[in-house]
Amino acid sequence: MEIFLDRLFSGVTAGSIYVLIALSLVVVFRSSTTINFAQGEFALFTSFVAWWLTTKGLPIVLALFAAMAVGFTMGVVAERALIRPVRRRNETAVLIVALGLFTALNGADGWIWGANDKQFPEILPHGDNDYFVIAGSRLHYDSIGIVLAMILVVTLLSLLFNRTPLGLQMRAVATNPESAALAGVKVGRVLSLSWGLSAAIGSFAGVLLVPVLPPNQLDLSSFFSILIFASAAALLGGLDSAKGAVVGGLAFGVAESMINGYATFLGGSMQLTFALVIIVVILVFKPTGLFGARRLERV
Amino acid sequence: MTAADSADNTALGTVSRPLLEVAGLRAGYGAANVLHGIDLSVLPGEVVVVLGANGAGKTTLMRAIAGLIGHTGTISVDGQIIAKARPDEMLRRGLGLVPQGRGTMTAMTVRDNLRVGAISRSDAREIADDIERWCTVFPPLANRRNQIAGTLSGGEQQMLAIARAMMARPRLLMCDEVSLGLAPIIVQQLFGVLRDVNQDSNTALLLVEQNAELALQIAARVYLLEVGEIAASGETEQFRGNDAIRKSYLGY
Repeated sequence: MEIFLDRLFSGVTAGSIYVLIALSLVVVFRSSTTINFAQGEFALFTSFVAWWLTTKGLPIVLALFAAMAVGFTMGVVAERALIRPVRRRNETAVLIVALGLFTALNGADGWIWGANDKQFPEILPHGDNDYFVIAGSRLHYDSIGIVLAMILVVTLLSLLFNRTPLGLQMRAVATNPESAALAGVKVGRVLSLSWGLSAAIGSFAGVLLVPVLPPNQLDLSSFFSILIFASAAALLGGLDSAKGAVVGGLAFGVAESMINGYATFLGGSMQLTFALVIIVVILVFKPTGLFGARRLERV
Repeated sequence: MTAADSADNTALGTVSRPLLEVAGLRAGYGAANVLHGIDLSVLPGEVVVVLGANGAGKTTLMRAIAGLIGHTGTISVDGQIIAKARPDEMLRRGLGLVPQGRGTMTAMTVRDNLRVGAISRSDAREIADDIERWCTVFPPLANRRNQIAGTLSGGEQQMLAIARAMMARPRLLMCDEVSLGLAPIIVQQLFGVLRDVNQDSNTALLLVEQNAELALQIAARVYLLEVGEIAASGETEQFRGNDAIRKSYLGY
């Protein structure tokens, strides 16, 4: 029972991380039907920015906000300067540009900050004694923090989408961009804002989770596997559904933890394979995912 | 300009300035030009219909005026040339379009569709009143306010499309084939509403139609569009009196 709870807790924690990154993918996909493969690298870049600011003496909480602001700006600029010019011509080109951005950002990180691992200051309590005991199993404070952060982001996003004029415009652009334009919505501006918002969420997640995830420090590949897992989670839930991202992310995190825990003959190295198998299975059998509405046409 | 002003102008027979004036308009898709120099105007409060067969360029004309596709030639609103028309800019100047195919935001509720229609306005109370008003004009929408719009029937979606465009309170409502694919009784009803829209709020109408008979019942002036050019134009009565035109467009 303790071992089961341990695995459940670690699954939910990992799942919440996937939810956060999956949500940032969903925010972009909802409005522009693009999967932004550079999403993880946005988060990596801004995590480096946050790390660099803390080495200059800025408290980590302020560095977090700075990272989100940088992320937001990067998202807006990337959409406006790189994505929009090629979108009109070709959807495949958008994908290529996103992949190019992925490698370019990763290269830039290494060039600016070097390839060695960075000790990252934690924002959530991560000490050896920072945990509750529930039924004999340890529930760490930082796990609780990640889950709470996920709940906070989900709540704020759902308020934004359902209770604000900007959310109304985002939903309108997502479901019928031409009708939205005819109603006076500035579609380009809404798309830019979506990319900015998405990158800000990614940055928030990045700064929070780097110290929590093994190996607990920042390196150039920190977000590579997270992006794959989050993509699988977003696909599982349905790429245009925020609810899907939550269910998909948590389901994926728990399943992964259970498989790792109980199917030990697979070893720990099968996680990425597992994620890719899920991606392929969903794309073949249910491309809209569990909660998605839109047919997936452009992947 | 208020509704009363333009009504006076017409009554006194003074030449009022066109609300919309299009001159030498060319537009199309990529290298293929569909419109080859269109001249057309709509006065404030006037009802104008553009008749044409499939492929004549009716939809392209509507899309170019609404700012959805680029054009050469000039589009003027209130005498002012709009150099690079964008949909939000044209709407701000008072031009609303009911697009072909109804443009339903299928994943949103009926009420949210109407709220999007009013996104250019900020008077929350009046927006709520207008939503109620259009639910009264189109009773099927009233019961389905919280229903996902994609589940509405074709006729209901066309009602929603007209109501959504009217939520912006345009001075000129452009409708791209309102009658397409709908039962005659629904089409009658929709044209009745369009007539009311014109008479009650003095909203000008620019309708493109294949359904000539109904459109001519409410139109003051007619343009005939043939393969991207205006083949003829004039008052509706003249048109009815012209045998050749009547035979080819009205079929009797």
